[in-house]
Amino acid sequence: MAEIDAAGRTTREINSAIRAAMAAGSSEVVVRNPGARHNLGVALLEPVKLKMAGSVGYYCGGLNAGASIEVEGSAGWGLAESMMSGLVRVHSHAGSGAAAALRGGAVVIHGDAAARLGVSMKGGDVIVAGDCGYMAGFMAQKGTLIVCGNAGEAFADSMYSTICYVGGKIASLGTDAVLGEMQEGECERLDRTLETYLGSARPPAANFRKVVAGRKLWNFDKREWRIWQEAL
Amino acid sequence: MCGIVGYWEKSGSSDAPLGCTLLKMITALGCRGPDSTGVATYQSKRPGSWTVRVKIGDSGDLAARAAQISHAAAGAGAHDFSRVDAYLRFSLDQQQDPQPFLRDIESIAPDVEVVSLGSALEIVKQVGSPANLEKAFSISRFRGSHGIAHTRLSTESVVDLSHSQPFWAHGRPDLAIVHNGHITNYHQLRRRYEQHGVHFYTENDSEIVGIYLAERLHQGGGLEDALKRMLADLDGSYSCLAATESEFGFVRDPFALKPLCFTETSDFVAIATEEIAIRAALDGDYAVRETQAKEVRVWRR
Repeated sequence: MAEIDAAGRTTREINSAIRAAMAAGSSEVVVRNPGARHNLGVALLEPVKLKMAGSVGYYCGGLNAGASIEVEGSAGWGLAESMMSGLVRVHSHAGSGAAAALRGGAVVIHGDAAARLGVSMKGGDVIVAGDCGYMAGFMAQKGTLIVCGNAGEAFADSMYSTICYVGGKIASLGTDAVLGEMQEGECERLDRTLETYLGSARPPAANFRKVVAGRKLWNFDKREWRIWQEAL
Repeated sequence: MCGIVGYWEKSGSSDAPLGCTLLKMITALGCRGPDSTGVATYQSKRPGSWTVRVKIGDSGDLAARAAQISHAAAGAGAHDFSRVDAYLRFSLDQQQDPQPFLRDIESIAPDVEVVSLGSALEIVKQVGSPANLEKAFSISRFRGSHGIAHTRLSTESVVDLSHSQPFWAHGRPDLAIVHNGHITNYHQLRRRYEQHGVHFYTENDSEIVGIYLAERLHQGGGLEDALKRMLADLDGSYSCLAATESEFGFVRDPFALKPLCFTETSDFVAIATEEIAIRAALDGDYAVRETQAKEVRVWRR
């Protein structure tokens, strides 16, 4: 296991040190004193285990493919943005735009997520143990978005085929977002997903509601003024 | 972009190393706003007395101007004059309404401005970095119970001292704000206020936040009520902190467009545009959470 002290070093030096440790054969790297700095642990294309011993700033884990990142504190904007595969786990809260444009892998947030969680996600699993903010799932295309707590306003607005599950209250559904029926075996699958990422601390899957696209925005005539008026 | 920070000492002790904390916080956000820097600190309250900070002028013979302002202020009962850089600072016995005094002082020249007035509030701000503000005013030596600070990246108005933040809500003792974002119905609201005789000192849209909150507080209700009403009356993007001698809080616009995060422990509340500012200034094991859209929180004593 390699240890890197981020204190007093530039972002480029820290990320270079992470890559150097990986190149030297370390499969586990710990970054001490990350100090909520931006752009740490980005574009890592190898299956390394990276632990951030504190909070991180913007874009942590962005563009990664295969790396597994654990953040002991909070994360800032754009957590795991456009991640291809791998895992990002945040033990505290995440800022706006977490898991935006996610392509694969899993993003697990044990605290709350701020606005625009999982916007335009194209795959993967997003699991929030706490609440999520305004406009989560906006224009999301594929993958699964799970919020164990309460969801903010305009939830799942203008979505394509992402499937959302919410354990708490939904402040308001977004345009074209509708409640869906749980299919046979779906509740068990949701429980297995929750168990995988949250373990025994998971809430009961039977309490979750499913939210999907109502598909009214997938195809509509440009003369349908009512739809235009409601959308945005 | 801009950077805003705030710190609230829960004990209320006016001997906390406030200036040092605010300086560390705002320095961490210096790259978000390289144009100008300012801090508003709340020091021990002086009952019956206001501390006044006046911008002497933009150019010319500032010593002569300072003497002219001192003479006028002394005529109104001001005392304990001192001058640092572009500021004249003095004490003034509290009056029913500060407006007549402000008119007297500011009528001396168009570039004279009362930058702050209050029983606990003092604002220092200038063009340049946090390091330059420290060099000019030694803000790290300021002690107090709470404060707010700002680094500015100008997007819509000129870069000078008066357009820098924090803004004192001119005429309302001890009310100061910092704002990151744009108030998009600024011109409409400004016209309405000007029709009612409100004087605007700058072309900076953030100035209207202080004017709006002062109006709300004047109508009764506390800061929390005023910040909640702001969500309906002010359009655009705003992450905003506001403080008085006894209250401190934030508001985040309905679209959560500008970042703002905070932490609360048993000892303090710290708020900042980015968590990096809080971590740079305050050691300890605490969780930082980004605020949600429409979130308003106020602390008071």
